Amino acid sequence: MKGCIFNIDAGYLEGLCRGFKCGILKQSDYLNLVQCETLEDLKLHLQGTDYGTFLANEPSPLSVSTIDDKLREKLVIEFQHLRNHSVEPLSTFLDFITYSYMIDNIILLITGTLHQRPISELIPKCHPLGSFEQMEAIHVAATPAELYNAVLVDTPLAPFFVDCISEQDLDEMNIEIIRNTLYKAYLEAFYDFCKQIGGTTADVMCEILAFEADRRAIIITINSFGTELSKDDRAKLYPRCGKLNPDGLAALARADDYEQVKAVAEYYAEYSALFEGAGNNVGDKTLEDKFFEHEVSLNVHAFLQQFHFGVFYSYLKLKEQECRNIVWISECVAQKHRTKIDNYIPIF
Amino acid sequence: MGAMFRSEEMALCQLFIHPDKAAYTSVPSLDVCEAVDLNPDVNAFQRKFVNEVRRCDEMERKLRYIEAEVHKDGVHVPSVKEPPRAPNPREIIDLEAHLEKTENEILELSHNAVNLKQNYLELTELKHVLEKTEAFFVAQEEFGMDSLTKSLISDEQGQQAASRGRLGFVAGVVQRERVPAFERMLWRISRGNVFLRRAELDKPLEDPTTGNEIYKTVFVAFFQGEQLKSRIKKVCTGFHASLYPCPPSNTERQDMVKGVRTRLEDLNMVLNQTRDHRQRVLISVAKELPSWSIMVRKMKAIYHTLNLFNMDVTKKCLIGECWVPTADLPNVQKALVDGSNACGSSIPSFLNCIETDEEPPTFNRTNRFTRGFQNLIDAYGVASYRECNPALYTIITFPFLFAVMFGDLGHGLIMALFGAWMVIKEVSLAAKKSNNEIWNIFFAGRYIILLMGCFSMYTGLVYNDIFSKSMNIFGSSWYVPYDNKTLESSPAFTLDPNDSYIDVPYFIGIDPIWQTADNKIIFLNSYKMKLSIIFGVVHMIFGVCMSVVNYNFFKRRYSIILEFLPQVVFLCLLFLYMVFMMFYKWVAYSTFSTDLAYQQGCAPSVLILFINMMLFSSNEPEAGCKEFMFEGQGQIQRVFVLVALCCIPVMLLGKPLYLLSASKKKKKDVKPEQSNGSVNQGIEMQEQTDIGDGEPKPEAKPSGSGGGHGHDEEPFSEVMIHQAIHTIEYVLSTISHTASYLRLWALSLAHAELSEVLWNMVLTFGLKDSNYIGAIKLYVAFCFWALFTLAILVMMEGLSAFLHTLRLHWVEFMSKFYQGLGYIFQPFCFKTILEQEEKEE
Repeated sequence: MKGCIFNIDAGYLEGLCRGFKCGILKQSDYLNLVQCETLEDLKLHLQGTDYGTFLANEPSPLSVSTIDDKLREKLVIEFQHLRNHSVEPLSTFLDFITYSYMIDNIILLITGTLHQRPISELIPKCHPLGSFEQMEAIHVAATPAELYNAVLVDTPLAPFFVDCISEQDLDEMNIEIIRNTLYKAYLEAFYDFCKQIGGTTADVMCEILAFEADRRAIIITINSFGTELSKDDRAKLYPRCGKLNPDGLAALARADDYEQVKAVAEYYAEYSALFEGAGNNVGDKTLEDKFFEHEVSLNVHAFLQQFHFGVFYSYLKLKEQECRNIVWISECVAQKHRTKIDNYIPIF
Repeated sequence: MGAMFRSEEMALCQLFIHPDKAAYTSVPSLDVCEAVDLNPDVNAFQRKFVNEVRRCDEMERKLRYIEAEVHKDGVHVPSVKEPPRAPNPREIIDLEAHLEKTENEILELSHNAVNLKQNYLELTELKHVLEKTEAFFVAQEEFGMDSLTKSLISDEQGQQAASRGRLGFVAGVVQRERVPAFERMLWRISRGNVFLRRAELDKPLEDPTTGNEIYKTVFVAFFQGEQLKSRIKKVCTGFHASLYPCPPSNTERQDMVKGVRTRLEDLNMVLNQTRDHRQRVLISVAKELPSWSIMVRKMKAIYHTLNLFNMDVTKKCLIGECWVPTADLPNVQKALVDGSNACGSSIPSFLNCIETDEEPPTFNRTNRFTRGFQNLIDAYGVASYRECNPALYTIITFPFLFAVMFGDLGHGLIMALFGAWMVIKEVSLAAKKSNNEIWNIFFAGRYIILLMGCFSMYTGLVYNDIFSKSMNIFGSSWYVPYDNKTLESSPAFTLDPNDSYIDVPYFIGIDPIWQTADNKIIFLNSYKMKLSIIFGVVHMIFGVCMSVVNYNFFKRRYSIILEFLPQVVFLCLLFLYMVFMMFYKWVAYSTFSTDLAYQQGCAPSVLILFINMMLFSSNEPEAGCKEFMFEGQGQIQRVFVLVALCCIPVMLLGKPLYLLSASKKKKKDVKPEQSNGSVNQGIEMQEQTDIGDGEPKPEAKPSGSGGGHGHDEEPFSEVMIHQAIHTIEYVLSTISHTASYLRLWALSLAHAELSEVLWNMVLTFGLKDSNYIGAIKLYVAFCFWALFTLAILVMMEGLSAFLHTLRLHWVEFMSKFYQGLGYIFQPFCFKTILEQEEKEE
């Protein structure tokens, strides 16, 4: 029944989004891209794709960072176009997507100020999707409580931050904890929001977000080995909306090394496959890449269903992956480091 | 006109060019050739001239930048009258240097301008800060004075007041839309201990880099304590608020304002000068800009063409392949020689024709008159190579069939005038280059519209129909035999031709007397129906006959006997015979006839006769009449139908059986494969002989018979199936297509009725009154009538008649002979390339 009235509000945008999705580079494009000798070649080839003349006004020689900027700029323009044309509840949904970038930006700025970097140097590094009005004044805050009271209280992130106020100073460890707590709160809120929308959106998005939550839990666990993070604190950082919840997370909380994490993942079919294929040897894919691959396949699957919001999320994530791929290839081309050029993650 | 009959003969030519300068200069002389891509599997960035293309890209980028700057300042860009030639290699370097210089100059200018403007902006902001904050400080000082007076009273109190009075403050400017958040933030970090005063600037300021207008607000934040100050400053930088020094005392402030004002005036002068200078530079650049961009585009097009060419193994020459119309070969060769001479290359470029079994592109040379008609045909499908081109006949049949449906002298006149206006104003209208798609369609079809209008006027005259009224020019052939008394007695009378017709028909077209007749529609229907069948059958027979031309040309003479003959016999014996019956009926039956059997009332229905003929049945004639029109008609009809039926198996089996026997005969006398050794004779140059052999193209397959139609290889069953489909389609289509031509009658009827309704319902309303009110009514009614006439009758009906005509040509006419499997010839031509790019922009 929801499908019948979906198109009234979001039909145009969904169509637009699917149109954008058709512009995502295909395997054949990547095969051409990896043959490039210089960045100019890369530019010439990208001109033949949906990217068109996005680099035409850049004076040569090109640098990888300009390519990166331009790629991101194009994506942001597209996303903001979608956002500007959306109405409730899609607009809230799209806002939710941007919150993760806001979290990243906040953490970036705080870490930067902690290392005494001038704020003007940090701002250009922030993701434009996650910018908010008070962002640039973030360095007035010295403690989490101040951060909350002065800066974040007016932003949509305020409800996520409530758990972090108790932290004492902003040191490196605490920033990591803040980041993960924020993320946990954000993911859980996003998950609930999607559940509340219901229908196909819930089916698709909960799947993707559950994976995202589990991935975070696993990565946090693996990264925490050898740090002073206690097991209790660690357990508090796990987002509790994934498939690992609750047994898997409990097991993860007890884990002491990589093997134990792997053992936990054994119980979950899809994750065990990821651990199986991953390795640190030359030629093997890293666990991170495996996760990315899985995420890409989940996002690609989102396009198989119609009348849901998941396509917007998936489009953004796929496009981001594509940007990472292009930047990776351009880095390899620029540094003449061709042996690893094939380590991109193909989407279609 | 011979060129229109079929597409031009094309030759695949091999081009040998010296790879350096000569290559570049010879390409423009190929403006009647279509280059074939010799490296289709090579990436865009791996081609030979990719660096040159990149240089062009870079130049285009500079041009775009300059153009943007020129547009930003609103400098008028004059249009070029004579598009410049493509620059030769030396000029390219000059052009490149020139562009580089201009770009740098403009870059520097704008950089300076931005700096100056930044300065100017800061000073203006400072001025505003000083002026606007005046009021705040006055208020504060009053308070301070107040506290001073208080201190006289009590020392202790005074000290407190003094410390309270010595509030620190910062003054600055912030963007207006960020004010609320800014204020809230300040309040939050200080827990409400900051006092913010603000005043909005009325006039927008100019953003130095983008030139956009920005609205800003002046603020003064009062606070206490150094720690708070640093935090406030942090917030200010976070919100991009620019802070300005603002002396606390009144006199200092006023001095400062004065200083700032003089500095502003100076700066303004400098700014104006830079602006003038910039204007001068841009104006001089703007003059050159269009010709530069055309030159660069031409260059790019040349290099793109060169990229299609192949490098010879020895790297001594560049080999290209292109299709050239045979008629233009000498011109191209001459142009090539001239091109290589012009750049002083020692090795001339060569052009050699090579044989190929590839299907050449279809090229019809058109002029502005025939182009529209050719487009109508190409829209259906581009003719196969050297196939008979129906566009030639369409020039007349199209407007004519349209006019049969659109027959109205008045509407035709409007259309003809519109078409004539476009044709007369052709040059100036074409120069305007509108982007309106509908207008462009009309304009492209201006000659079609003109002809359609003229033909409609003619058919309108024949139908005697002008805005649904008739004209009595030559005097009606009918007269009223009754006297007034009888006429008054009844509203309607029947005019018997025996005593009210003078036996000489009206000079041209329909007698105007029919306009007043009750049975006008019945009469016209019978007339127009017959007319459309007659035109249809003639049109179709003509189409079938056209196929002979194709069979003859493509050396499939057997098809003339096995396909064309049965087809045309079938069509003639059945449908042409029906047409004959119509004419016979018109001629033989008359009320003045002496023979009773040919009197009025005895004329048999052609349709019934035709149906009876097909079914071998008969109807009982009315008393005193005969069933048939002439003696022996029954026998003749029977023979016709039998012969026509015999044609069907010939159509069905003739060709397949012939092909079968021919292929068997071929197998019997096995001939050795013909070697196409003669191919290399064309290539006699010493150095090129090896190249000729190296090319795989020429002898890939032994070419079949002239047209290269691959029926020989097809298995018998497939030929049989094809032929069966064709036969069934043809036999059925003779009936359905004949019926389809009845749309000529239907649309014509609809058009006439609609225009009559419009006249009766709208204009008559204004014509009824004879006093002054009638004039006003007529004025209004005429407006509506004219509007509807234009919108519905001319535009909408015209469009629908156009579409039906198009269908009659595409389906009913062209299906009889046209294949339309070719692909269009796209010669390398600067004009189309430039136009295309303009469209994309």
